[in-house]
Amino acid sequence: MSSLPLKAAGKHLPPSWRIQDTTAAPYAFQDDPYLIPTSSVESRSFLLAKKSGEKAAKFIINLHPKYFQKDIAEPHIPCLMPEYFEPQIEDISEAALKERITLKKVKASVDMFDQLLQAGTPVSLETTNRLLDLLCYYGDQEASTDYHFQQSEKSKELEEATEETDEKSKKKAGHQFGVTWRAKNNAERIFALMPEKNAHSYCTMIRGMVKHRAPVQALNLYTELLNNRLRADIHTFNALIEATAMTNEKLEEKWNNILELLKQIVAQKMKPNLQTFNTILKCLRRFYAFGKLPALQTLREMKAIGIEPSLATYHYIIQLFYHYDAPSKGSSLVIYDIMNELTGKKFSPQDPDDDMFFQSAMRVCSSLRDLELAYQVHGLLNTGDNRKFIGPDHRRNFYYSKFFSLLCLMEQIDVTLKWYKDLIPSVFLPHSQTLIDLLQALDVANRLEMIPQIWKDSKEYGHTFRSDLKEEILKLMARDQHPAELQVAFADCAADIKSTYESQDARQTAPDWPANALNCIAVLFLRAGRIQEAWKMLGLFRKHNKIPRNELLNEFMDSAKASNSPAQAIEIVKLASAFSLPVCQGLTQRLVADFAISQEQKEALGNLTALTSDSSSDSDSDISEGK
Amino acid sequence: MFPRVSAILPFRPLSRLPLCSGGPEASAAAIVLLGAPHGTLRTKDNIQRYFGTNRVIYCKKDGQSVPTHEISKEPESQDSEKENTKKDLLNIIKGMKVEVSTVNVQTTKPPNRRPLKSLEATAGSLQKPTEDAPKKRSESLNPELVAAASAVADSLPFDKQTTKSELLKQLRKHEEDSRAQKDGERRKISFGNIISDMKVARSATARVSTRPVHQIQFDEGSDNYVDQEKTVDLRKRRNIFKGKRLNIFDPKAVTEEAPETETAPSLWDVEFAKQLAAMNEQPFQNGFEEMIQLTKEGILWEFPINNEAGFDDDGSEFHEHVFLDKYLEDFPKQGPVRHFMELVTCGLSKNPYLSVKQKVEHIEWFRNYFNEKQDILKQSGIKFN
Repeated sequence: MSSLPLKAAGKHLPPSWRIQDTTAAPYAFQDDPYLIPTSSVESRSFLLAKKSGEKAAKFIINLHPKYFQKDIAEPHIPCLMPEYFEPQIEDISEAALKERITLKKVKASVDMFDQLLQAGTPVSLETTNRLLDLLCYYGDQEASTDYHFQQSEKSKELEEATEETDEKSKKKAGHQFGVTWRAKNNAERIFALMPEKNAHSYCTMIRGMVKHRAPVQALNLYTELLNNRLRADIHTFNALIEATAMTNEKLEEKWNNILELLKQIVAQKMKPNLQTFNTILKCLRRFYAFGKLPALQTLREMKAIGIEPSLATYHYIIQLFYHYDAPSKGSSLVIYDIMNELTGKKFSPQDPDDDMFFQSAMRVCSSLRDLELAYQVHGLLNTGDNRKFIGPDHRRNFYYSKFFSLLCLMEQIDVTLKWYKDLIPSVFLPHSQTLIDLLQALDVANRLEMIPQIWKDSKEYGHTFRSDLKEEILKLMARDQHPAELQVAFADCAADIKSTYESQDARQTAPDWPANALNCIAVLFLRAGRIQEAWKMLGLFRKHNKIPRNELLNEFMDSAKASNSPAQAIEIVKLASAFSLPVCQGLTQRLVADFAISQEQKEALGNLTALTSDSSSDSDSDISEGK
Repeated sequence: MFPRVSAILPFRPLSRLPLCSGGPEASAAAIVLLGAPHGTLRTKDNIQRYFGTNRVIYCKKDGQSVPTHEISKEPESQDSEKENTKKDLLNIIKGMKVEVSTVNVQTTKPPNRRPLKSLEATAGSLQKPTEDAPKKRSESLNPELVAAASAVADSLPFDKQTTKSELLKQLRKHEEDSRAQKDGERRKISFGNIISDMKVARSATARVSTRPVHQIQFDEGSDNYVDQEKTVDLRKRRNIFKGKRLNIFDPKAVTEEAPETETAPSLWDVEFAKQLAAMNEQPFQNGFEEMIQLTKEGILWEFPINNEAGFDDDGSEFHEHVFLDKYLEDFPKQGPVRHFMELVTCGLSKNPYLSVKQKVEHIEWFRNYFNEKQDILKQSGIKFN
């Protein structure tokens, strides 16, 4: 397998011409080498720490602006000067109201508006509309700086997590995050107070209601807008489509209502935009099987009109056709059509959900076990500037983990190893499961000699104390016999792993070595000729209350025979009887057959075996061995 | 006729299937034809409906071209059926021949609508995506049959044309009926008028519209055709981009540039743009990207270094700074005041730190000053008006 010429697979080798230096840590982490993160958890805290430092500095500057007035920069650098968040205009006037709106002070604006009304000063329609915009966008809450971060992250994660649950429970979950539209809040109050309302007022109210999950009110308000013979703009229609999908009706009903809305868009001579279709597809996701045909019809409609679908469009379609829970029940070929269409295209940001595409595409490739498709997706990621659409850290890690696992599963080992060198650690830091997949790939390709190297790497990536990874490594090393040189390397690796267990013990009160680990380490020492250490391992079995395997004891017997030491052999038998192992009989026979032992020893053995054979049938009791 | 029939006979079963280009569409016909696996009633309805919407086009028997066309589309699973049906057909045609030769053509009873159990199996294996795009199957009646029918019509005392057309209609009906039940039942249906290559042209829209569930199944890619899909020629398979669309928007109307009123971006637009920009943020991949970002923020200068970066000077040119004589029009042309003001303008023209506005203000200030101090000037005998 390893002799296969790489040229054949050449087109899928990792691109080594990339700007990135694959031997270095990512640029964002290059500061003090001691601080370079080695696991994904560490890298997240590194980036957060860096960002929070910047924010803290900005906070102090803005808190005490009078100390930071010196401006010697020529030309002037506005972003380094303190920002003013407090309104400067103190009197009650429309200008003051406008200032507060610009500064996004929700409560202050509402108070100023009320004061103006009390004073009898009329507020212009435009300013009132701007105030309504502010209230509706932030849902009558203060606009905090991480408002967006909270809203979008939480809603997306909850969306992914609760996709399987039905509508009702999702509604319940919905109340726990984000802002909900309270009845008779300031926006509604001010809206009612307005002497004249134009289309913009209605539109912004509708959009606010939909954003904060009050679909019924939004639809009612839309009826009112129509009654007043006003025209809604396309953004409002997009919000109404979302509102329709949020209502409690049957799927058929909802779809018909959405189609009705689209017809109204045409009747009012408005032009749909990309958001219109993306909103429809986003809502169709929750229609599950019923939504598949409408989704494709929507996609075709989009293309027919000449609106180019964005990555978010394709993401919704993939989510609809390749649902989490039903992985390959009737696998669709939709993804192939999509990838054929997208290959070579460069994208610009058009929808906030554009960065979800690559993650879902790779998830599908992984579940379909299609490596060619994965290469296509990865090629698209590397086209032009598309790598900006990989999304935040956790999404990038997910993408690359899935990609690399697929490579381990399906690709030739040499190409996989090339990708390993290329991606890790400069692009992503591997999870222990990724390394286990790599180990299994090495096993399949019969390249177990790379295992000590992988262990070394694992330690670097913070997996020193991962027991599943260590057990996998030990298991693979100990499974078969290998040539002498390799055995030595394996034994060194095993010794290293042993030391990690020991240091773990030192920290914990209840030492817990897994039985597998003990067995494997002992066998590896034995095969490499490190007999002393192997015997020490046997002693550890007792200490940790683990039972040695039959094969292990047999190997010990072999080694005792090789070194011609009956004393060792007797030790083994004693140990076996101490554990009351059924193999004790077999061992005793071997002992008697292969070794020259004295008569007394034979009698002692006889007692031992008698005791063992007795007690093996009943429950174990602490019968001391020997005479 | 017999040798010809037998020659064409092997191809006969193929013609059953929705032939022509467009396997997927074809299978729609076959499936509806063979009856839905939904029980008797549905089968009945489908078959009846099929007949009701049938538009038959007669064309001459076209022996050679059709078979080759059909063979290429035939999936393997049809082979076993073909064998059995071949035998049936032979027998049927043998029987038919005898009937046709009699003057009194008896129209056979419409075949029994028994539930066709094996239809489900065949429908399943035949199942291929059905999409709109009407495909036609042309069918022709044996000219001899037609001749026989017209002979019958002649012999009967009724209106010849109507009789003849009715008889031919019946013949067609039986043909299609028999084909529908061929796969299911091995029992002999006395077609009475099976001809080796009868082709029926029909529009497929009616069929397609009655099976929305089926269409949805296609679009999701149903189970039993997952295995076939990879081997099926991709050209034949429907692309997700081809097919029915909502037909709500008119492409021409949408691409027209409608006059849009330009309004200032509202809070919604601004925040949406910010969200998009935030989505696209990635940590810097190298020092150049960091420097680009710093340059955008204004912290780093732009290269090549522009000495006047960020300095506009209100758009004024050098001559506005240097030639300030025009502001001296209000001052006397002679005398110490003038002399003084010329020195002032000379100094101002060499001053790089003031804007043109500021220089003009300077001169204005002097004018005001001299205006106020008119009496002192008068005392000294200097004219200033």
